Amino acid sequence: MIKHEGLKEEFKYVTKPDEQEHIGGLFANGDMLMQEIAYNLITGQNDQVGILVKKALEEDYSANIVLDDGLIAGMAIVGVKFRDNIIFVPEVLISARAMKAGMEHIEPILSASGVEPIGTVIMGTVKGDLHDIGKNLCIMMLRGGGFSVHDLGVDTKPDEFIDAVMEHDAAIVGMSALLTTTMPNMGTTIEAFEDAGMREEVKIMVGGAPVTQEFADEMGADAYGANAVDCVQRAKDLATSNK
Amino acid sequence: MKSEKKSLDRARAKRSLETLFDIFSNISNHADEVFTKRCPYKNAKSRCTAKFECKNQHYLKKFGEGPVCTGSDFLDYRSAWSTDKKISS
Repeated sequence: MIKHEGLKEEFKYVTKPDEQEHIGGLFANGDMLMQEIAYNLITGQNDQVGILVKKALEEDYSANIVLDDGLIAGMAIVGVKFRDNIIFVPEVLISARAMKAGMEHIEPILSASGVEPIGTVIMGTVKGDLHDIGKNLCIMMLRGGGFSVHDLGVDTKPDEFIDAVMEHDAAIVGMSALLTTTMPNMGTTIEAFEDAGMREEVKIMVGGAPVTQEFADEMGADAYGANAVDCVQRAKDLATSNK
Repeated sequence: MKSEKKSLDRARAKRSLETLFDIFSNISNHADEVFTKRCPYKNAKSRCTAKFECKNQHYLKKFGEGPVCTGSDFLDYRSAWSTDKKISS
């Protein structure tokens, strides 16, 4: 039973009977704290989600319950609202940021139980390029796919990629570019890794609207991701090849 | 409800993470469709969330939520992203 007033309003967007049953079932026990986590995730309150998840774990809720009935239940409603064009990509990414804030408290428990990240990925939009939405979707997917991701943001210089790889001991770098004028900076970054003597240690994947497999091959990238889902598969392939 | 302190059912957690990945995959696949007809930086209130200049941004003095997107969803919005302004970082 949904008791949280805000969540009740959000749940009205779930109109398909099977989804009402499935998502509604996650709120069936009527736990107010879990509903508060879900509501704050839907509305993108990342600080609040972090605080509430921490509080729940301190109050002896199991990580499984917080994950299922709080975080995933909230994200399921976000998915429905996005599919039905009630919200759009910017709102989804704000909710994904809130999910990350909650997961930061869950991940140590997962790791302690042997559910480790598949690998560490450094992500950034290349130098001269400020377009970040594709990269941000990839980051959301990679985190959902079990990777630990460090986001360098936009306009990322080659040295910043190299420094991040060293700092986080990452085996994979993901570069994004949206403009044809900035695409060559992917090649420049790969050259910088070669010059630093680190090219053998790092797998590099590239993507972005104008980027093609041919361009990726020409630059000497190890993988090309056509979209965010593909990006996760390529990263998994690279993580496996590193072992 | 509350249960044993910070205990974790590993198999259940793995299933949960798979569920989360499925939700994200559906979002990502739908985003690929949406990108063909609506600028991805345009939020539900038709405000631009981009960190760069775009010719379709229209600033309203009255409202403090960022510029309104004036782009037509029927046109390829990406040509508007190339401006002469240099990037400062």
